[in-house]
Amino acid sequence: MADCPAATGVSRDLAGLAVLAAGLAIVPAVAPSAYVMALLNIVGLYTIVTVGLILLGTSGQVSLGQAAFYGVGAYGSALLARDLGWSPWLAMPGAVVLVVATAYAVGLPALRLADVFFVLATLGVGIIVNVLMIQLDPLTGGASGLRDIPPLAIGGRPLTTDREYFYVIWTVALAALVVARNLTTRRTGRALRAILGSEIGAAALGIDVPRYRMRVFVLSAAYAGAAGALYAHYVRFISPSPFALYASLFFLIMAVVGGLTNIWGGLFGAAAVTALDQIVRAQMPRLFPRIGGEYQTAIYGIVLILIMIFFPSGIARGGIDLRRLLRGDAAGPATDRPAAADVVSGGSRKRAFGRRPRVRSEEEAWASPLTETSRRPQVPARGDAPASPPVGTTTENPHA
Amino acid sequence: MLALFPQLLLTGLTIGSIYALVAVGFVIIYNITGILNFAQGEFPMIGAMLCAALLAAHVPLAPAAAGAIVAACLLGALVERLAIEPAFGSHPLTLVIITFGVSMAFRGLALLVWGADPYALPEFTPGAPLAVLTGVLGRQAMWAIGLSVVVVIALFGFFARTLPGAAARACADNPFASRLVGVSPRRMALLAFTVAAGVGAIGGIVIAPITGATYDMGLGLGLKAFVAAVIGGLTNAPAAVLGGYIVGTIESLVTGYLAPGYGSAITFALLLIVLSLQREGLWQTVRRRQV
Repeated sequence: MADCPAATGVSRDLAGLAVLAAGLAIVPAVAPSAYVMALLNIVGLYTIVTVGLILLGTSGQVSLGQAAFYGVGAYGSALLARDLGWSPWLAMPGAVVLVVATAYAVGLPALRLADVFFVLATLGVGIIVNVLMIQLDPLTGGASGLRDIPPLAIGGRPLTTDREYFYVIWTVALAALVVARNLTTRRTGRALRAILGSEIGAAALGIDVPRYRMRVFVLSAAYAGAAGALYAHYVRFISPSPFALYASLFFLIMAVVGGLTNIWGGLFGAAAVTALDQIVRAQMPRLFPRIGGEYQTAIYGIVLILIMIFFPSGIARGGIDLRRLLRGDAAGPATDRPAAADVVSGGSRKRAFGRRPRVRSEEEAWASPLTETSRRPQVPARGDAPASPPVGTTTENPHA
Repeated sequence: MLALFPQLLLTGLTIGSIYALVAVGFVIIYNITGILNFAQGEFPMIGAMLCAALLAAHVPLAPAAAGAIVAACLLGALVERLAIEPAFGSHPLTLVIITFGVSMAFRGLALLVWGADPYALPEFTPGAPLAVLTGVLGRQAMWAIGLSVVVVIALFGFFARTLPGAAARACADNPFASRLVGVSPRRMALLAFTVAAGVGAIGGIVIAPITGATYDMGLGLGLKAFVAAVIGGLTNAPAAVLGGYIVGTIESLVTGYLAPGYGSAITFALLLIVLSLQREGLWQTVRRRQV
C-alpha cells in the first residue's frame, strides 16, 4: 500500500499547529482594534464549520444545509441556557447533542440518495429548518429572534470582551482542526478516502460504507452545531437570518476556496472569504454609490464559478493542478473516456449519478470528486467530433 | 373554510404555470446535458427585468417582451459558454455548484443594475377578471396557464419534428453515438441552455404582471421548479409541467390554510418525501446509482 501522504506530514502538521497556536496567542496583544478582534472571532467560528464541511468532503459528499445545523446549535444552546437555566458550558454540549440527533434523523433518508440528490436533500433540510426557525414563534422568537442569551462565564465571572471570547473560540477551533486532522490520517480517514474513490470498492474491502458516511455526516453537523452554540453565547442575540440558504452557500464557498479535501484549507478558506467579504463591503460602495443589499452575492457567485472551473481542489491546491496541467498530464480522465463508458451504460443521464472513472491515479485518490476535471488533452484535439471528418453530410463545425 | 378552496386552486394553477415553465427548462437541460441547472430560476427574473427596462424606455409591450426573451436566450448561451463549457466533463456536483454560482452572480448583477425595488409589468390584455366556479381568475393568469401549455406543446413539436430537435434527442439518448453521426454534444448543450433560458424568460414575463419582478425572485423559483421537475422524474417534460402545477397548488393551499411562511417548507418536505420514496420522481425512468 502506498504511503499515506498525510502520514509523512505528521511532524509538519504538528509544527504548523504549534506555530498557529503561538501566533493566535499573541494576536490579542497586537490586534489594532476591537473590530478586528470581532472579525477574527467570526473567522474562528467559520473555521469550525468549514472544517466540518471539508471532513464531509473527504468522503465525497457536499452538504448545502450546514447553516441549518449551525442554527440548531445556536438556538438549542440559547434556549437551553436562557429558558431552562442551564450553564452555557452545559448548554453548548447539549445543543451539540441536539444537532447530532437532528443529523441522524436527516442522514437516515438522505444518505441513501446519490450524490447530487443528497446535496439537494441537505438544501431542502436547510430551508425547512430555517422556515421553522421563523414560524415556531413561541419557541424561537420568530423573525425577531432571541435576545438576552447568557454569556459564557469562567469561575463565575462572565466573559465580556472580544478578546476573552477569542481565546475560547480559537481553542475550540484548534481542537476541531486537531481532531479533524487525526481523523483524516488514521483509519477513518483512509476509509473515507476509499469511499470517495469507489463505494463498491470500499465495501469490497470490508469498509462499512453506510456507517462511515453517516458518522462523517453527523460529525460535520456536530462541528457546525458547536460553532453555532459558541456563536449564540458570543453575540448573545440570534435571529433566523444568519442561518438561511445564503449562509450555507457561504460555507460552501469557504470550503471550496480552502480545498474540499484539505483540512487546513478550512482555516484558509474561512479567513480568505471573510477577508474578501470585508474588502468587498469596503470597496463596493465607492464604485456603486447607490447600492444596498446583498450585492456581494455577484462577486461570490463569480468566485465560486471560477474556483470550481479552474481550482476545484481549492486555491491552496490550485498550484499543484496548474503544474500538472502545464506539464501536459491530464489531471483526470480524457474527454473520450466518459463517452466510451456512455456507450456501455448508454445515455448522458447516467453521467449525472456520480459515476466516477474506473482508473484513478494516486493523486486522484486523494482528491475529491470535485477535482475530476477533464483538462483539455493535448491529443486528440479538443472537440466533439472524431479527428477525421464524420461520415455523412453535416455542416457542423467539429471544433466549435 | 372550504369556500377558499377554488380560489386557492386557481391561484395555485397560476403560480404553477411559471414553475412548470422553469421546470421544463430544467428537464431540457438535464436531458441533453445531464446537468442540473440551478440558475434556471434566474432566467424568468432576467426576462421580467429586461422587459420592464425596455418598457421604461418606451418600447411597446410586444417588442419589449420579444427583445427580453431574445436577450435571455443570449444570456443562457453565454452562461453555457463561459461557465458550463469550461468545466465540461467535471463531476456533476462540480457543475451543480457552478450553476449555484451562476445564480448568485445573476442575482447580484441584477441588484447592481436594477436595484432592490420591485418592478411592475403591465398585463397583456387588461380587463375584468373571469369568474370561475366560486373563484376569480385574472386575465393575466389565463395568459400564464395558456402560455405554459402552448410553450410545452411548441417544445414538443420542436423536439419531435425538427432536425435540431432530433439532434438534441439523439444527444440526450447517447452522446457518443450521436457524435458518430455528426451531432455535437457541446453544440446541443448550447441549444439546451438557450431554449431553457427562453422558456424561462417567457414564464417570467407572463407572471411578472401578477407577482411583480424583483432581483431575488429567481432563487425561490429555481428551487421550487426543481422540486416540480423531480416530481416529474427529471427526464419527462410533460410530467415536469404537471409537477409544476402540483407544486404551485400545494404551495397555494398551504399558504391559504396554514401560515404563509410554511409554503417553502412544505414544498421542500415534499421534495424530500419524493426523493426518499422514488429517488428519481414519481415517473421513475433512471436507475438510482451507478458503480
